[in-house]
Amino acid sequence: MMRWVGFGCRLVTGGIFLFACLDKLQKPGAFAAAIDHYHLVPYALLHPMAHGLPILELIVGLALVFGVLRRGAAMLAAVLTVIFIVAIASALVRGLDISCGCFHTDGGHAVGITLLLRDFGLLVLCLPPLFFRDAGPELSHLRKMAAGSNG
Amino acid sequence: MGASAATSPPGKLNLRRPLMEACALSVIVLAVTAVSWALRPDRLPLSADPTFYKLELDAPLIATKQAVALYDAGTHLFVDTRPGPIGATPTIPGSVPIRQDSFDDDLLDLFDFITPEDPLILFGDGNLSLASSIAARLKARGYVDLEILSGGLEAWRAAGAPLTGESGP
Repeated sequence: MMRWVGFGCRLVTGGIFLFACLDKLQKPGAFAAAIDHYHLVPYALLHPMAHGLPILELIVGLALVFGVLRRGAAMLAAVLTVIFIVAIASALVRGLDISCGCFHTDGGHAVGITLLLRDFGLLVLCLPPLFFRDAGPELSHLRKMAAGSNG
Repeated sequence: MGASAATSPPGKLNLRRPLMEACALSVIVLAVTAVSWALRPDRLPLSADPTFYKLELDAPLIATKQAVALYDAGTHLFVDTRPGPIGATPTIPGSVPIRQDSFDDDLLDLFDFITPEDPLILFGDGNLSLASSIAARLKARGYVDLEILSGGLEAWRAAGAPLTGESGP
């Protein structure tokens, strides 16, 4: 039972990260502007982050969905989500009226409590793939099975 | 498979392996980012120009595709904000010049042609601060419906939209 809970969380979290990276990968300029609206990232890091963050989301999403380095991917997903929560909370505290830039670089959800709760939900989903020893079928399992049948 | 087998043993939270896996994934991410940055034709410069991000425009930006649709519909007037003599370089057919250096004279020439209620789309060579500055001056004269063409004339040309002195695709 726990295995399938972990598997479900893995697929949902991975799917969310994959969906989140699509628009950002296509529009690095617009994503850089979305990051800049938070007034948290220094300009020296803005463009590297606008290029790197969607790729991080892509690789974390793929690793979770296919079960490659699954626990490390879940750890990165959890860390990223905590960073998103801190950024959204700080924007709320400072009264910034901005769109989150989570899934769409132009428009999208405005920063607010709902968004914060959504990210807390995502953080909870990251935990089973991180802490469970078995979180459903993984590519590494298939490799071991293949090695076992050969041996 | 029971819960005891699926989860880590209680009281023994070993994060060493996920930490090592996270490091391995981070290295992969860095490598892919570097390759992607080097290969992308639309890559951003490594260092961001703060003036670009701090610029607060005096009129909203309009995307080229949307501007071309409005041009085809004939509902908006296009304003060429580029400095230099009129007609020296290709421009959007039917556009009128309002330049920074000759702002008052240009506006006077257009006195019978445009009213403050007319919807205007300002374009230049992509220099947003110049177009924004002219938008601010127009606003001060009572013009209310102003937009700035994102990407300027280059984006217009890249979209295959018509230009004076150039035959269409």
